[in-house]
Amino acid sequence: MTRVRAVRRESDSPRRYLHSLWLLSARDLRVRYATSALGYLWSILDPLVMSLIYWFVFTQVFHRKEVGGDPYIVFLILGLLPWVWFNAAVTDFTRAFRKDAKLVRSTAIPRSIWVNRIIVSKGVEFLFSIPVLVVFAIVNGAPVTINLLWFPVAVIMQLLLLIGLGLLISPVCVLFSDLERTTRLVLRALFYASPVIYGIGDLPAPFDVIGAFNPLAGIFSLYRIGFFPSQEDWSVVLIAAIEVVALLILGVAVFRRLEPTVLKGL
Amino acid sequence: MAAIEVTGLGIRFRRARRGRPSLKDLFSSRARRHPGSAEFWALKDVSFQVEAGEAIGVVGRNGQGKSTLLKLVAGVLLPDVGTVAVHDDVAPLIELTGGFVGDLTVAENVRLIAGLHGMSRAEVADRFEGIIDFAELHGRLDTPYKHLSNGMKVRLAFAVVSQLGAPILLVDEVLAVGDKAFREKCYGRIEELLAEGRTLFFVSHNERDLRRFCTRGLYLRGGELALDGPIGDVLDRYNADNAAG
Repeated sequence: MTRVRAVRRESDSPRRYLHSLWLLSARDLRVRYATSALGYLWSILDPLVMSLIYWFVFTQVFHRKEVGGDPYIVFLILGLLPWVWFNAAVTDFTRAFRKDAKLVRSTAIPRSIWVNRIIVSKGVEFLFSIPVLVVFAIVNGAPVTINLLWFPVAVIMQLLLLIGLGLLISPVCVLFSDLERTTRLVLRALFYASPVIYGIGDLPAPFDVIGAFNPLAGIFSLYRIGFFPSQEDWSVVLIAAIEVVALLILGVAVFRRLEPTVLKGL
Repeated sequence: MAAIEVTGLGIRFRRARRGRPSLKDLFSSRARRHPGSAEFWALKDVSFQVEAGEAIGVVGRNGQGKSTLLKLVAGVLLPDVGTVAVHDDVAPLIELTGGFVGDLTVAENVRLIAGLHGMSRAEVADRFEGIIDFAELHGRLDTPYKHLSNGMKVRLAFAVVSQLGAPILLVDEVLAVGDKAFREKCYGRIEELLAEGRTLFFVSHNERDLRRFCTRGLYLRGGELALDGPIGDVLDRYNADNAAG
């Protein structure tokens, strides 16, 4: 009889965490791409069509002059690509556990992976869609500045914001049934309340003060700063950074607290 | 060395299974006036130790906390009081086919599930052949999982989890499914694993299976550990209780 070698239980090691995270993110992407003929193009098509629609409405119908920046299509894409990432991730947070309830009930991986795989898979789609931005920026001859280096900083800030929100929203949605719809409604309002189709500086008082407390305002300002120096607003960025950290701390605390209850509720 | 240490374990569930509470419940006064009344203890003050290489059968009537105990040991539920310490990797045969994705192929699913249970890419590659052999699914590697028959699905799932190489095996009554020949094959595999010195934690209603695999029994009654002893004694006590009541 051979004895089984006792191995250290390593289900909590960072390597294994990342491995599981990547497996599930890749699975979500593969399912999405395997089940549609257009596959990868969907990542691009969604924000692209939205950008073209808003471009048409605001430049051809409404004759926008001061709002946003020129070229407006580049300004739009810079807001819409990250918005699509944010919107898709938060929408999926509401079903982060429920959608894979059977797997959550049978696999003892760290539970935050169920939240973070959404951020990663939607984030990969966001990265895939960046060529759209590059093409439009080149075609429209948008001026490039050194401030473009803030773009990756904005990506990291959005990533942290999503982790904080995900740890907060995902478990709470398991416990309270009506939060799924509430979240979707809030998202719809948030689209117009965030500087996506306009810039933070375009808001008249008192909305500019209220709008500054939207963490997306600071993050979108960082995304745009490389092409549109007029979008620079460091106080808004600082507010966003503080809020991101606060949400992250709150999210971790809430998630820890609710984790046992969530598992019982599945 | 103890493989599993359970100390003062307790877990509560909501009694009213009316679905999820709504936001309204959060603010309603009734829930606040009687916070404890809607809950019951599914397990209370359960303590035991399992040595490495032991084969333990959990006995009890439906709703007495057997599956809950297994899930706590597997780490897919977290206790309200007490601790569960598991000192080795675990292969949980719980909700076997749950994690498989219908739109992905057999091969993709094997890599996904094996990976989630902790196998590295290299280990999956090593054991891939063995898994497909055991599941008898040669030539179906590129078939989408949803096109497999129910029997094939269970075979594949059992094949993956039983190849994990984890020293601790948790088995919920999954083996009630599948045809007789495959069930025998699964049992053969479990005996092989036991002979290799693995630890088994087995939940079943089937007295014959319990006597076949297990040496020690845990008898759960009303969420409490009523008896912990040799499997024969535990089954006798369980039968006596149920004949009387």
